[in-house]
Amino acid sequence: MLKSIYIKSIIALSLFILILSCSKDSDPDPVHEEEVITLVTLEVTKVGSSETKKYNFEVEGHDHGEEDHEEEDHDDHDDHDGEHLEIELEANSSYNVSMMIYNDTDPDNIEDITPEIIEEVNEHQIFYAITDELSGFSISSASNDPKDSEGYPLFQKTTWTTTGETSGDVVGYLFHEPTSKTGSTRNDFGGAVDFEIEFEVHVEE
Amino acid sequence: MSFLSFFAKLFNSNSKHCKCKSCNRQKTAVGLSMLAAGFCYCQNCDLQVYGQILDLHENSPLSFAVIEVIDSDYKDFSDSDGFFLLRNLCSGKIKIKISHPSCNDFFEELNIDNSISKKFYLEHHVESLEEVILDQSRLKQLSTTAKTYSLSDLQKDQYSGRGLAKALEQISGVNILNTGNVISKPMIHGMFGSRVGIIYDGVQIENQQWGQDHAPNIDQNAFEEIRLIKGAGVLKYSGDTAGGVIVLESELPKINDSLYGKSIVSGMSNGRGLNLTSSWTKSYNSGNYFKVQGMMKRMGDLSAPNYILSNTGTDENNISFSFGRNKILNRWKTNFSFFSQEIGILRSSHIGNVGDLVYAIELASPTIIMPFSHDINPPYQSNKHYTAGIEYTRSNLNKGKFNFKYSWQRNNRKEYDVRRASFKEIPSLDLTLDTHDFISSYQWKRSDWSFDGGIFLRIQDNYSNPNTGIRRLIPDYIRTESGNYFTSSFNPSNDFSLGFGFRYTNQYNHVKKYYENTRWEEENFQERLGDFVIDEILSQKLVEQKLIFNNISINVGVKFPVFEHMKFNLNLFHTERAPDIAELFSDGLHHSLATIEYGNPFLKSEKTQKLVINLEKRIGDLKFNISPYFTNGQNYMVIEPSGFEYTIRGTFPVWEYRPLSSTIRGVDIDFNYELNDYLKFSSNSSWIEGFEKNNKTPLINIPPFSTNNYLQISIPKWKSFLFTISSKNIFSQNRYPNHNFETSVVEYGERVDKIVDISTPPDAYNLLGMEFHWGPYSFLSDKVSISLIFDNILDKNYRNYLNRLRFYADEMGRNVMFQIKINH
Repeated sequence: MLKSIYIKSIIALSLFILILSCSKDSDPDPVHEEEVITLVTLEVTKVGSSETKKYNFEVEGHDHGEEDHEEEDHDDHDDHDGEHLEIELEANSSYNVSMMIYNDTDPDNIEDITPEIIEEVNEHQIFYAITDELSGFSISSASNDPKDSEGYPLFQKTTWTTTGETSGDVVGYLFHEPTSKTGSTRNDFGGAVDFEIEFEVHVEE
Repeated sequence: MSFLSFFAKLFNSNSKHCKCKSCNRQKTAVGLSMLAAGFCYCQNCDLQVYGQILDLHENSPLSFAVIEVIDSDYKDFSDSDGFFLLRNLCSGKIKIKISHPSCNDFFEELNIDNSISKKFYLEHHVESLEEVILDQSRLKQLSTTAKTYSLSDLQKDQYSGRGLAKALEQISGVNILNTGNVISKPMIHGMFGSRVGIIYDGVQIENQQWGQDHAPNIDQNAFEEIRLIKGAGVLKYSGDTAGGVIVLESELPKINDSLYGKSIVSGMSNGRGLNLTSSWTKSYNSGNYFKVQGMMKRMGDLSAPNYILSNTGTDENNISFSFGRNKILNRWKTNFSFFSQEIGILRSSHIGNVGDLVYAIELASPTIIMPFSHDINPPYQSNKHYTAGIEYTRSNLNKGKFNFKYSWQRNNRKEYDVRRASFKEIPSLDLTLDTHDFISSYQWKRSDWSFDGGIFLRIQDNYSNPNTGIRRLIPDYIRTESGNYFTSSFNPSNDFSLGFGFRYTNQYNHVKKYYENTRWEEENFQERLGDFVIDEILSQKLVEQKLIFNNISINVGVKFPVFEHMKFNLNLFHTERAPDIAELFSDGLHHSLATIEYGNPFLKSEKTQKLVINLEKRIGDLKFNISPYFTNGQNYMVIEPSGFEYTIRGTFPVWEYRPLSSTIRGVDIDFNYELNDYLKFSSNSSWIEGFEKNNKTPLINIPPFSTNNYLQISIPKWKSFLFTISSKNIFSQNRYPNHNFETSVVEYGERVDKIVDISTPPDAYNLLGMEFHWGPYSFLSDKVSISLIFDNILDKNYRNYLNRLRFYADEMGRNVMFQIKINH
């Protein structure tokens, strides 16, 4: 009986030595965050023109309470005293705007996530919230905009229409698994925000 | 008592009177040597035999044994500690007989020249051995000076399907920290996680207990006994648990041929769930035994009074088995267990950013309410815990007890989030923690002193699977802990004890962690951690650190009666706890609170001093227990907001670990009154406050004042029937840190600034419950009990401050539970 105890402790001990011997000699693999969205680009083309302007939204920043140091060059921080990315448009015009979504954590291998979002159009929704100051400015789904199985447009490809001179803020959202595909404000959609970009639209004569 | 009674007996016997006549009579009757007869007149007849009757099996004292000197009138009974004294014996040979109700008569011949003291070991009848073993396991004290709370069978079985934390909540001063309604962690005196130790069969469970949403991965139904000490009162098992220790133990099986066990079936209306647990033990006369226990649980979505809490189902399957051999002086045991659990997390609590959080707080009900289902979808947790162990104990009759234990544990935790495309099936967190424990101890006794000393070695290896596609929340590490402990107690009587304990732990951590370059620069880590960088890849730095912590824990306590029927315990605990790997290195986004959590790699060991006083008094049918406590902490680690991080998802508050000086104090009051044979009133209340010392800022997650009252009615006409009505009052926490912050959202074309109220505790509430218990009734060869339990009988809407998901939904509504228990 006692013998079996010894045998078992020897087994246990050798198991332990085995574990010690295969300890972390090798370094852990780095994690490549493939799923994250790190860059959103608005490609703005005036109808009738072939020139496309690209606006990049790429935010990574950290703020330690009071000490206000902002490191990023191109930031569209949520602090509303600061400068936002500005998009300048001409009055009484139409623009075709495509929203492109990327993961650029690995600068050598920038990943275009847009097709993935389009493929999962049923579970995603893009929404532009336009503030009231921007009177006479509207965003509608373009004819080539991807639609979900029930015919709701994704708003990935949009047409922006301007009238008179105006300026104001626009917030663009991508919702994941929204509870509603339509609405007039963020809360109407439910779901979780995958990204939130903010910019200022200037419409000039 | 033994100490005093010994002296009392000595004094009584001081009168010297040598009675030659009686010597002669005895001698001749026994028929001893003629030689001795001739010296009758000078025979020394004031000799004593002072002895103690002990059980051969467990070394425990046997009381009420009759000790007779054969063919004489000398007779005594052993007292409660097994002591007896035979006085006025004459030198020479005597034959004594010891009889005890549950033992074979014991005879021994003694040749006495001087007064002697001797221990007598009695062997029990085999059939009564089991009782002794049972009694002994009950008597095995966790601490001689600190008050031990234990759950009764009824309390334990009633909660067989609701997890360990909820079962423990029945004890005053124990709260539960929830994440939703299923994930519950025990909180003792305002502390949880690594500050509360859960010990199973002498080994601390290691299941990533640092996490607020990590419930203990253990099936309490595998253990017959659940006990708790508020404070680091069991240094044999752990030294860093200032909050308290929870000790789960399995009973030693009977030493006879039998097959027995217990099965419980519970059905729950809320969640439409079923829970089955069964345990079987087969034992043999040889002392061999085999025990198997299993548990199965299926629960669907729970419901709040007004809506379904979508995706809050649970699946649980556990199995454990052990086999071993109990002999009188040695025993061994091997055990294996497998715990597997899937817990759905409220769907609405998975949010994207702070804007979503604002929206969730504003809404009265969750954003996603789906029809009832038993399915578990993301977000959910999948936890698996494996254990295996071997234990050997050997007792020497006079010397002591030696114990060796090896235990292995593997904990695998997978957390699945709501993810996109090909990531849907991939967990966002996948940690595997292996723990090996080697513990060797030796217990011994010297008159009124008892000692326990031991050495231990623990090796832990944590592996974070990098294939999650999300940066590691916890880095890979190896932690080695070694040390020793020594405890001693002095118990001259049942009422008085003095205890002392010491535990030293050396902890060595070998960590390899990737830091993102952005954070590295912002935090200026280069200065302090630059030397430890071993690799740089994908805009991340790999840092290798070796951290060593040396910790000492000390415990001193005393227990004595102040007045008649009034017991007083005073215990002082000094504990030192090395920071968790999570506190040092955590790095990641928490979806339920939309916060980014960062560890602090420069933390030092946390030190706490805790004073616990316990006053227990009985006045007739009234019994009360008042237990005030005071805790002082240095380097007390808390997580709190430290700023904001802007990402493309939006703004996120950053929470970081910070050491501070803390004070936690409170009082637990238990009260019991038996009005008459049929009516019993009991109540337990707890008040606690905790704050940061220098600026008096309250600590987060300190439970509000609560009082629970029970009225128990038994109807004499109905045999074995018990009815309990309960009322739980939980007050609103008025002392809380304000971590609210402002954010700006666009709502219906307007820019609005909003305060994100993540601090204000919810309102007070009262919950009524009812319990009906019938039984046990004999049914064939079994005993059957039936219970019907109503929780939140008024279907009240309420939210709980200690629930991390309180922003999203109400707590569970009414629940009716039906339970059948069979003792077979």
